[in-house]
This record gives sequence, C-alpha cells and structure tokens, in this order.
Amino acid sequence: MSERRPYVRRQSRLWWASRTYRGYTLRELSGVGVAVYGAVLLAGLDSVRRGPDAYAAFVGWLSTPVAIVLHLVLLAAMLLHGLTWFQTLPKTMPRLIVGGQAVPQKTITNAAIGLAMLCSLALVIGALS
Amino acid sequence: MADRDRLTIELWILRYRPAQDEEPHFVSYTVTYTEEMSVLEALQSIKDEQDGSLSFRWSCRMAICGSCGMMIDGTPKLACSTFLRDLAPGPVKIAPLENFPIERDLVVTVADFVKKIESIYPFIMPKETKPVEAGEYLQTPAQMAAYEPFSDCINCMLCYAACPQFGANPDFIGPGAMALLQRYNGDSRDAGSRERLDLIHGEDGVWSCTAVGLCSEACPKLVDPANAVNQNKTNSAFDFFLRGLRKENHS
Amino acid sequence: MTRPPKRTIAPIFWLLFGAGGMLSALFGTGLVIVTGFLLPASPPSYQAAAAILHNPLAGLVALATIPLFFWHGAERLFLTLKDMRAGPRPLLALISYGAAAVGTLVTILLIFLMEFGS
Ligand code: SF4
Ligand code: FES
Repeated sequence: MSERRPYVRRQSRLWWASRTYRGYTLRELSGVGVAVYGAVLLAGLDSVRRGPDAYAAFVGWLSTPVAIVLHLVLLAAMLLHGLTWFQTLPKTMPRLIVGGQAVPQKTITNAAIGLAMLCSLALVIGALS
Repeated sequence: MADRDRLTIELWILRYRPAQDEEPHFVSYTVTYTEEMSVLEALQSIKDEQDGSLSFRWSCRMAICGSCGMMIDGTPKLACSTFLRDLAPGPVKIAPLENFPIERDLVVTVADFVKKIESIYPFIMPKETKPVEAGEYLQTPAQMAAYEPFSDCINCMLCYAACPQFGANPDFIGPGAMALLQRYNGDSRDAGSRERLDLIHGEDGVWSCTAVGLCSEACPKLVDPANAVNQNKTNSAFDFFLRGLRKENHS
Repeated sequence: MTRPPKRTIAPIFWLLFGAGGMLSALFGTGLVIVTGFLLPASPPSYQAAAAILHNPLAGLVALATIPLFFWHGAERLFLTLKDMRAGPRPLLALISYGAAAVGTLVTILLIFLMEFGS
C-alpha cells in the first residue's frame, strides 16, 4: 500500500503553443520583429551609400504590397513589444517606495508607455516637418 | 432555494496509485454541491462518500497553509479557495500540480522545493550580531515595505506549476524560492545579499528565467515572485560586470 | 557549504538584449511609421537623404541602433528556439547570436564606408 513510485509527467514539446503560453511566445517573436526591422533599416542605409539608383529602388520597393504588409506586421510587432516591454519593466526593478508606500507597478508601466509615445511622436513630427 | 441544494457537478480527477496504476488516468465523480462549497470540500465529500482511497493534501481550509495546490481546469489554484459555483457547469478537470512528480493521486513530491528554500539562507544574517542587551534591530515602515509582500509566501508551489522554465529544467531555483530569497535580501536588517547572490548567478539560478510572468498571476498571496526573480536577474547582471570592483567579504 | 554554482555568460547577451529592447520600445513604433509609411509616401530627394546620413552623428545613431536591434532579436530568437527544443543549445546559440554578430559587423562596415568612403 505504501509503495513509492513517483510518476514524472513529461512537459509537452508544444507547451509554448498552448493557450496558456501563446501570449508569451508572441511577445518573444515580436522581439524577433525588432531585428527584422533592423535589417530593413540597414538595407535603406546601404541604398543611400550605393547611390541615387539604389536609393530610388529601395524607396520604390517600400511602396510594393509586400513591403507594406511587412511594415504593417512590423508595426504590430513594435507595438506589442513596446507594451509588453513596459509591463515587464517594473518586474526587473526593486519595489519603488515613495513616502513609505510602494508605487504601483501599473503606474510605472503607464509612465514608461507615456514616455515611449512621446519619443515615437517626436520622431514622426520631426519627419513631417 | 430548494433547487440550490440539488446542484450537481462532474469532476474529472487524475488518479494515480503507485501500487496498481502503470500511469495516471482520469476518473469521473459527480458531487452534489451548494453555493459556498469549495473544490477541497468536494474532494472531501468524494473521499467520505464515494471512494476512500482518493489522496490529496490539505490542512487549514483557509488559504494559508499552502498544502492544497492543484491544477483546476488547467490552472494552478488552491482547492480550498476555489469555488464550485465558479466552475459550473463543468465537468471540471482536476490534476496534481503541473511540473512536479506525482506521488499518489493529487499529491506531488515537494522534496526538491524544500531543498531549494533551505539553500538560500532563509534567515536574517545581520552584519554584526548584537548582544540581547543592545536591543532590537530596528526597522522603519518604509524599510519594511521594501520586502513585506515577499514574506507573504505560503510555499504552495502554484508559481512552479505555472512556470514552463521550471517544467523544462527542474533544477531551476524557481519563483517561490526566489521570493523567499528577496524577502531576506530586501530586509534592511540583513547583510547576506552577497552570499545569496552567489547562489543564483548560474544557469539554474535566475538565468533560467525568461520573464514569462505567469508565476505572479498564479500566486494566491500576491507575492509577485516574478519581481523577485527579475530584480535579482538585474542584480546578477550588474554583479557579472562589476564583480571586479566589489569588496570581498573577509570571513 | 556547497560551492557557488558556475557563472554563465548570459548577462552579456541579456545586457545587449535589454539595451535594444529599451531603444525599440521607446522609438520603434515611430521609426516604423517614419521609414515604412511616411518615407514612401513622400520620399526625400537622394541629396537630402544622403546629406542626413553622411552626418557623422546620424552614422553614430545608426551604429548604436541597428546592431542593438539585432542583439535584441537574437536573444529572443535563441530563447524561443530553446523553448521549442529546435535543436542542441550550442547550435541554437550559434544561429541566433551568430546572425546578430554578422549583422553587427556588416553594419559597422557599411557605416564606415558611408562616412569615410568616397
Ligand atoms: S510565491 Fe506565491 S505561488 Fe509561489 S509558493 Fe509562494 S505563495 Fe505560492
Ligand atoms: S488547505 Fe491550506 S491552503 Fe488550502
């Protein structure tokens, strides 16, 4: 009756795709989108270095359906990355005590997201003017 | 009102009896329940009225002893603070805590977890011990606020059941033990951070964590173990780059 | 007592990951809007684009940004591949961090050519 034979369950190979962890996996992949966008930036930079023809070709490519869809995906990735990044931010720091009370993590997240919106807005306004 | 007393719900319970079962399998039980009945009470009614061999852990019935953790419909929960009315109409799947070996039915092996919490010096290590005559080690409310939630851990291991990195690597120190570690590292009366940091700078320390964050959502005591792990990841990284500068403790 | 466990070099990649993550979280959305949508809508002349990028300051900004984006993605790619058990760990690390390292070298080279090339 008291036989001891602990049963070890194997973790599913596909745990990262399960409903519980899907959000986490998407968050991680949004970070891969950041690197893909880095490659696009690099290609644009290089087109300028190579001269007017290459630059025109790059700008032309940007208006193709493929490039537009790619940038829509990258935009979604950047938004997801930014949001989740600042949700994680308060987890990486000590509890912030102001006036003897802990600052809620939500406040830190919201402040950082506000700052990010300002930074991104500044880029857009700078480009438009 | 009369109807309320005749509510029934079906529970699928993962059973494993090492002496007779090759592997765990689900068995269905139907229980009559009332509005205020918890999953733990349902298990007790099954044990009393249907099958006395059903094994599960419990003690306090009030979410403070940490014994009754189990997977309820796939989520790690305390059975004593999860109510059947919230799970209706069912059927409800009940299984032992994920990521732990099963001893019997809903009872899992806790030995490794206990070793982990013992390993992190779970006591205050004062800079210098004062004689009793010298009085207490004082602390302000603000200093206490810096670590207080981490001292609320009830060792229920729900956070471990929520952590896929612990599932992949059972040697990972994991969220609960890190919460306890931070409870002492964050205490103004303690001077043992250095020693504790040295225990967690390896692959099985904080660096197994990928900030999934579900441990904090699973925690019934709002301990926020993800915060404990990740702020120490930051500490461990700083220590990695600045360890040349640190003054070694002489012992 | 037991000896302290062996350190890992994970903090190096984690720091790069963190720097790239912070930069892209702050500026990424704006950058994509500017270069992905505003730029093709009304592209600046080649002369204007070249003038901006030949400024050493712009070169410096690109030098910081692009490689850090690569290292950020590399860390996440590595961890995701590890989660998926896509292969032996050293191989996964080689693929992910290797790609970022190559990307970094290429970036440095191209920016060097742009700022100092003819
Ligand atoms: S941190 Fe929370 S979930 Fe983890 S063992 Fe402690 S009380 Fe349970
Ligand atoms: S029985 Fe004590 S926590 Fe549930």
